Amino acid sequence: MVFWTTLLILHGLLAITLIGAVTHQTVAVWMPVRSAAGNFVARYRAVPSHSYASAIVVLYVLTFILGAWIYTHYRYTARLALEQLRFFKVVGAFEVKEHLAVIGLVMLPAYWCFWRQPLAADYAEARKHVTLLLALLIWANFLIGHIVNNGRGFGS
Amino acid sequence: MTASPKSVVFAVTFGIAFCVIYVICTEVNLPLFTYHPATGDLGPLYQPPGRGPAMYWYGWMLTALLGALVLALLATVVPERWVQRAIAFAAAFAVLYLIVYTAALAAYEGATIELDFLKDRLWSVLAALAGAAIVTVLVPAPWTQRIWPGWMWVVPLGAVTVTTYYLAPYFTR
Repeated sequence: MVFWTTLLILHGLLAITLIGAVTHQTVAVWMPVRSAAGNFVARYRAVPSHSYASAIVVLYVLTFILGAWIYTHYRYTARLALEQLRFFKVVGAFEVKEHLAVIGLVMLPAYWCFWRQPLAADYAEARKHVTLLLALLIWANFLIGHIVNNGRGFGS
Repeated sequence: MTASPKSVVFAVTFGIAFCVIYVICTEVNLPLFTYHPATGDLGPLYQPPGRGPAMYWYGWMLTALLGALVLALLATVVPERWVQRAIAFAAAFAVLYLIVYTAALAAYEGATIELDFLKDRLWSVLAALAGAAIVTVLVPAPWTQRIWPGWMWVVPLGAVTVTTYYLAPYFTR
């Protein structure tokens, strides 16, 4: 139990780091500031968005691998309990999460190509939309993971 | 718009093909292997649950991975405009099939006489194929060239929508 709990916490920490990076990049690419940064929000928007791409790819892959590993344990422990408790919405939410995670993963090669330096003007629109969709998938997965974890209760 | 580097052609085709094949795998249940987490056993293709549940997710991913790799490699050796046309054709087919089959089912439900053929997916597939072919021929090449990187977010978004829709029973029971 300690082993799987440790993996789950690592998975969560990586996810938080990933959320921070992808949110920063998405805000910067959709709402860039041209003038000198002033308040917190302006400084948040003023980061060089391209500098996050490689980190996001690495963090996503690591988070995915850990999640896919933990999933094997979840499937025959927590999920069976959730089904017995008739928490079908929670179980369904996790089923959604597994699909979102895969779809996000396979977007990474194109995402990485679109963000390669020098940034190609031909892919400017695709770059913005792919980044936004990736951010939404990551946020959705994070929230679903949080809900599923709460469904059973930590350590129960 | 300039010609895309091969890496972009590969990556975009791979992403799009994976999403499509993955959705098909989840709906038809086509895993290349099945994992039994309670016992740690692996079995080829689809295996029913044994002692404990069976997991198909990893098998679906492998099926989609191999299919997408083949298509993406193929895309790098054919002219780029063919790839752009093929993706436009596939997207048009998917949308038209959805529209035609939904309309066919609605017509079947509302009909006062038995029109069993409307429930047969084959007719909807054929109609969608014909419509997609017409759309693909009529759409000017500069359009398919201009929009083609955009499929990299449109198709995954569609895959998300379809897979989530099919999980609706979990949320309605």
